[in-house]
Amino acid sequence: MKKMFNQVGESMKSARRWHGAAKAAIAVSALSFLASCAKDAPQDTWQPAGPNAEKIDNLQRPVFYVAGIVGVIVFAAVAWTMYRYRDRGQAIPEQTHGKPALEIVLTVIPVLILLGVAVPTAGTIFELAKTSDTEMTINVTGQQWWWEYDYPASGSNIEEFGITAPIVTSGQLVIPENTKVLLRVTSRDVIHSYWIPKLNGKKDSVPGRVHLLRMEGSQPGIYAGQCTEFCGLSHSYMRMEAVVLSRADYDKWVANELEEYTAPAAGTEAAVGESLFIQQCSRCHQVNGLANSDGSLIISAPDQYLVSGAAPNLTNLMTRNTFAGASWDLLTPECRNNVWNADSADFGERYLAGVSSDCLNQKDLREWLRNSPAKKPMYADPTKLEASDGKYRGMPALGLTEDQINSIIAYLLERK
Amino acid sequence: MITTSSKLFYGIGGVAFAAAIVWMIANNGGSGAVALVFVATASIFLGAIASYVRDGHVLSTDTEQHDSAPAAQRGSGRSWFPLGTALSLGTVIVGLVTSPGIFKVGVALLLAMLGEWLIQNWSDRASSDPSYNERVRGRVVHPLEIPIAGALLLAIIVLSSSRIFLALSKNAGAIVFSIIGILVLFFGSVLSIRRGTSVRFVGAVCGVVLLSLSVVGVVLALDGEREQLTEAAEEDHFAHRACGVEAEYSDKHAVRAVSAKSSVAATVTLKDGALYAEMDGYSGPLTSITLQRSLNSSIIFQNEDEGEHRMVVTYGKVVESLGGGVERETLLQACTSLVTKGGQQGVVVNIPKPSFSSTEGFSITVPGLEGASVEVLVP
Repeated sequence: MKKMFNQVGESMKSARRWHGAAKAAIAVSALSFLASCAKDAPQDTWQPAGPNAEKIDNLQRPVFYVAGIVGVIVFAAVAWTMYRYRDRGQAIPEQTHGKPALEIVLTVIPVLILLGVAVPTAGTIFELAKTSDTEMTINVTGQQWWWEYDYPASGSNIEEFGITAPIVTSGQLVIPENTKVLLRVTSRDVIHSYWIPKLNGKKDSVPGRVHLLRMEGSQPGIYAGQCTEFCGLSHSYMRMEAVVLSRADYDKWVANELEEYTAPAAGTEAAVGESLFIQQCSRCHQVNGLANSDGSLIISAPDQYLVSGAAPNLTNLMTRNTFAGASWDLLTPECRNNVWNADSADFGERYLAGVSSDCLNQKDLREWLRNSPAKKPMYADPTKLEASDGKYRGMPALGLTEDQINSIIAYLLERK
Repeated sequence: MITTSSKLFYGIGGVAFAAAIVWMIANNGGSGAVALVFVATASIFLGAIASYVRDGHVLSTDTEQHDSAPAAQRGSGRSWFPLGTALSLGTVIVGLVTSPGIFKVGVALLLAMLGEWLIQNWSDRASSDPSYNERVRGRVVHPLEIPIAGALLLAIIVLSSSRIFLALSKNAGAIVFSIIGILVLFFGSVLSIRRGTSVRFVGAVCGVVLLSLSVVGVVLALDGEREQLTEAAEEDHFAHRACGVEAEYSDKHAVRAVSAKSSVAATVTLKDGALYAEMDGYSGPLTSITLQRSLNSSIIFQNEDEGEHRMVVTYGKVVESLGGGVERETLLQACTSLVTKGGQQGVVVNIPKPSFSSTEGFSITVPGLEGASVEVLVP
């Protein structure tokens, strides 16, 4: 009797364990499913916003469905087999070996499925590698931990888009809608990877190599991305955004970028900020047209202070919506939503308005200027630079006072 | 009577005592000398005990046997370590006169020979069984001998091969070592297929090959490097590269094909006296290219014109103050070797300043050809 009770007790314990595992599995599945319903998912690969991403989408959807169906069939078969032939103390059935007909069928079916996947995959790869239809070329250079974009003044960039002098910016890639843009992706330090999921697949940026990536947006808007190759301490903060503008708005953007430098009015806080910028920031950050009191141009020398040899050009900082490698918004949440959620017709106007003093995200920018390594992990401790020959990776803490920060922000607000 | 093992203790004692004297003279006494005197005393004491007990062959209480008992083990066999030690000492002396490198090699050899000699002598007297003695010796020295011998063997192969490579022409070198590779593969394949090949046979073949390689390497090293390398070294080609129109011997042998062409920033071509650039992403020839700032950019120069030409990238200048109001301007340039018609040469430039920092701008030119120029923009 006692033995029987023990057996019943063990069975109940086993059943409880199975029930617990089943509940956990259901909960995980439900959470995974619900995650796919997220509204704010700017890096969703299932929402293509350009022809290149659509090509990938057209490939991945049928593959996903086929793989899903095959997966369900396999899992169901395994589960049914496990249940149907579970150990109930029965005798082991007669063991056989080999069934050529079945083996051939089970080999041919996967081959056919893989062929069905391989043919369109190869076609898509070749389509995405095409460069002969390029209408605009942009250099994209990765470094720890931000992306630089420069628009060469060559070929069709001049003839079609009026880029008569090189434009350099960072954080946000700005491109005209329905234009076949070719990115020449490379790196100044370690391997990074460039990915705007809604516009195309990813491409590694490798020092010493130039990799080509097509980019095209079908409608105005901002499309988020993320470096997808682990590249050091602040890899997770190495973000990027692609801004697609209508052609008319893009022309305005180019014209603004090519405008001459305008110095702040004398006696203003921005003028104080300009002199502070020259003292504290211009060693690494270039502002095109910024000059000394004797009229000589100030040329930054980031190659002397930074491992990558480059720092973001801040000539038109407030025309973009982000800073510090697109890690933080320059706009307050309300103003950001106003731009990000604008419909196509209004987007360009709102984006081109840039960052005003009312919309400036003072909190994050001030924290950054107070102590940037505390906000974004970087190898910027001046006492620990032996390994990098005295050079920084990222921006060091400058020890600015609050008054100095006020002045520099006043100066930066005019950089648009 | 001084027995075998007591020699070691007496030797250690003597050396320690001498070292103590040297220490005292050099350091005006000190604890080091005291320690060395203690070592000497202890060693001499142990040596005396070893002599007294005939290396442990007789009991200390059996006083009658002390004078008549034979030595502990048989005498040592022949050894080539005294010869090696003498040669090493000679190397040290030669090194003292000629160069520090030879001196260091001599000291290393001398220490190795003395160590081997010491261990050989010790192992020869470990027992009366020579095979056991050899095993004992092997257990001590093989962990050192085998890796060092392997490294030396590898060094001989590498050095000999490199001398052969440097002496032969580039094409002949490739052919010769391809044949050697095929022979090694063939020999290895035969060995793996044929079971039971004697180790002696394999060892003999390897020995002959190694010897041949060494002899050929030494002969060709004495004969000197191939003509181009000799002349390039005489012209100091490896130290600097002139960017003017002057011809240097080694310039005339620019490569016909540059590897890694798929990843260059630009290909610059000289054709019909004009210069133009091609870049991935641009459909036609360009007379103006944009390079990223502070980025290593590879540029390939392709000469399609008659004659020899070089490409020069000029990206600003450095002004140095020499004092007294005198300044010296040095152009920042990078250039290829002279390239004959149909040839290519690559150059890597890293431009740290924007092009607007220079009043003259940045450019790619071909010295001696007016108007052959491509503008370089750096944002």
